[in-house]
Amino acid sequence: MAGVNLQLRQAYSIAQFVPTVSSPPPLHTQRVRLGTSPSRVLLCNLRANSAAAPILRTTRRSVTVSASSVSSSVDSDSLVEERDDMGRIPLLEVRDLRAVIAESRQEILKGVNLVIYEGEVHAVMGKNGSGKSTFSKVLVGHPDYEVTGGSIVFKGQNLLDMEPEDRSLAGLFMSFQSPVEIPGVSNMDFLNMAFNARKRKLGQPELDPIQFYSHLVSKLEVVNMKTDFLNRNVNEGFSGGERKRNEILQLAVLGAELAILDEIDSGLDVDALQDVAKAVNGLLTPKNSVLMITHYQRLLDYIKPTLIHIMENGRIIKTGDNSLAKLLEKEGYKAISG
Amino acid sequence: MAAATVLGRLSLIPNLSSKPKLKSNRRTTSTSVSIRAQASFSDPFVLQLAESLEDSLSASPSSSSLPLQRIRDSSAETLLSTPWPSRKDEPFRFTDTSFIRFSQIEPVSTHQRNSEILDNLTETQFPNAVIIDGFVSNLTIGPSDLPDGVYFGSFSGLPDELTNRVSEFIGNFDSGDLFWSINGMGAPDLMVIYVPEGCKVENPIYLRYFSGETGDRESKRLPVSNPRGFVLVEEGGEIGIVEEFVGKDEEGFYWTNPVLEVVVQKNGKLKHSYLQKESMASAHVKWTFVRQEAESEYELVEVSTGGKLGRHNVHVQQLGPDTLTELTTFHMCVNEQTLDLHSRIVLDHPRGSSRQLHKCIVAHSSGQAVFDGNVRVNRFAQQTNAGQLTRSLLLKPRATVNIKPNLQIIADDVKCSHGAAISDLEEDQLFYFQARGINLETARRALISSFGSEVIEKFPNREIRDQARNHVKGLL
Repeated sequence: MAGVNLQLRQAYSIAQFVPTVSSPPPLHTQRVRLGTSPSRVLLCNLRANSAAAPILRTTRRSVTVSASSVSSSVDSDSLVEERDDMGRIPLLEVRDLRAVIAESRQEILKGVNLVIYEGEVHAVMGKNGSGKSTFSKVLVGHPDYEVTGGSIVFKGQNLLDMEPEDRSLAGLFMSFQSPVEIPGVSNMDFLNMAFNARKRKLGQPELDPIQFYSHLVSKLEVVNMKTDFLNRNVNEGFSGGERKRNEILQLAVLGAELAILDEIDSGLDVDALQDVAKAVNGLLTPKNSVLMITHYQRLLDYIKPTLIHIMENGRIIKTGDNSLAKLLEKEGYKAISG
Repeated sequence: MAAATVLGRLSLIPNLSSKPKLKSNRRTTSTSVSIRAQASFSDPFVLQLAESLEDSLSASPSSSSLPLQRIRDSSAETLLSTPWPSRKDEPFRFTDTSFIRFSQIEPVSTHQRNSEILDNLTETQFPNAVIIDGFVSNLTIGPSDLPDGVYFGSFSGLPDELTNRVSEFIGNFDSGDLFWSINGMGAPDLMVIYVPEGCKVENPIYLRYFSGETGDRESKRLPVSNPRGFVLVEEGGEIGIVEEFVGKDEEGFYWTNPVLEVVVQKNGKLKHSYLQKESMASAHVKWTFVRQEAESEYELVEVSTGGKLGRHNVHVQQLGPDTLTELTTFHMCVNEQTLDLHSRIVLDHPRGSSRQLHKCIVAHSSGQAVFDGNVRVNRFAQQTNAGQLTRSLLLKPRATVNIKPNLQIIADDVKCSHGAAISDLEEDQLFYFQARGINLETARRALISSFGSEVIEKFPNREIRDQARNHVKGLL
């Protein structure tokens, strides 16, 4: 197992990853159920190869059923040769992810590939309706969407097998674009519940409201909020800026190995944007990663991304560094998709 | 036979034939039918019940005060012409009372005091009365608890100068139903709260109602008690009262049939908290009749969870302009039970304002919530501002809610609104919890208790708020 994982790590270096996304995905819409971890790892291996050998990919669905046939068809030697020596650990590996809207069955994600390593900051940009927000919601298991194919591996675990709360407890955090109001539940109680759920998971003692309060107060400074913020009901009557700050407060309190920030900059004035960006930067460690979804270059001035991905029509069509965002700002999406 | 007996007694009452009751009768359109004619519509079961209520009281020596006697007389008269309600009667269309009807109803014996109840009471910081089976059994009021001139206790202890004043108002209600009259017939005592002019009472008065006698489900013996209270707030006076109905044991089989009459004079204020925690096997049918003079305020906050059948009839009658009426209520069915709120606000004067919020949760597949909310804005009630909103949560398949918000507007310059929403928990809200690592079950619990907390937060006293919150949490 360890050996296979190691291969994976190198197989998904960025150099290999970028050409992968430009190749057309197979045309299948049936739902793929990802099973036990051995077959899942093999599946990933297979996919990695299939980037180089598209013929293999068309047979992917049948081979996932039988692990032996998969292993026989994987050309592991090629992976070993492409090993890079940076020793980075992949946090999130998304392979050929396909998803539909559960109700209308309309396909939104049409084969997304993305790897995020520890300590990296990624930004996904794209036009309205390109699938950016859907992508982030699918990652955290939003019930409005159904995954029909592909895989998501987070810290070596198959995310698709996990309930939304377990994904959160595993260290995945998504800040909502427009978080819902919850009348009757105070911000303080909500945070305490979430915090204790995490403590329980870690087998650590839970904090009672008084202990938790003192823990919270320090975090409030991070997002520049007053303490009366805690007594208000979750998002009820919050302004756009307050909602975003509240999301970041939750991130600060709960912590996360991968924070997905879905349009955290929309509806914020410059001051609020700086506050939020400062808070996010303050939370970044060499181990934590951030995936930002945004429309604007503006945010990237404050939170510097390692890589920028351009999403279009349910796929990532281009990956590059900060210059990509600048090109986008200047010439629009035409410059990229054209 | 039973019919004849009651009738015989009635004929002894002198004012009976001279002044026909203006009771609205569902079966007869004319109100001036003679008693004898009405008698032919009598329901033998009701007459028998009336008779047994009367018998139970005649054994009691303390029951001879004048207003009580008057209430009994007029109730007896009404019972003659009122049949037991069926589902064909509009006010009972969704509320099945047959469980009471087919039990062996027995009026509670009048002299049983249950000291066990008194022993197990937790202390409260407010002046309070424990009312067992309709009798004020324990009154704890220190000398400093109530300002001068405030009276709290049985009608019989009322100072002479107040007797007449209070008597003016008692029992003048013509829109009651069978249950109102049964209380009138069976009330053994009258508890009175009197607030003199301009007096603002700081601490609320706490009334705790218990049923001392319980029957059993096997033999269907259903003891009925009829507690009755009256509150008069004179001009500019202010007070809060808390009514708490407690089921001693969870399976207690009994019927509580309380009535509270309230008169708020000009510029007076009453904050009424009502917490109904009867046993799940019991019946609880309550009437609250409120009259509001000009510029007065009446606020009701209710949390009801108990009873196989629980029903609250609230009737608010406006007597002058510029009144404020606020009804905030929460019913929760976690068992095989029916909880019903029948409210009626009658506005007859200008610039009245009424706000109503009713919420209910039905968390059992054989549970049922009923709401009939009537707001009547009559011809002279111009510039009325009346708002009504009801929200219901159905948490189980086949859980039922029957909602009938109805506004009757005759005045032409008014602002009125009503809304009704029935739903399950919001998916988006549940997901928000999950996305923060909170499991579905905890999230559901938090959302369900938050649904009721909008009402619970309105209780003016912290102690009651906490009590209500814990009670609701305990049931979930």
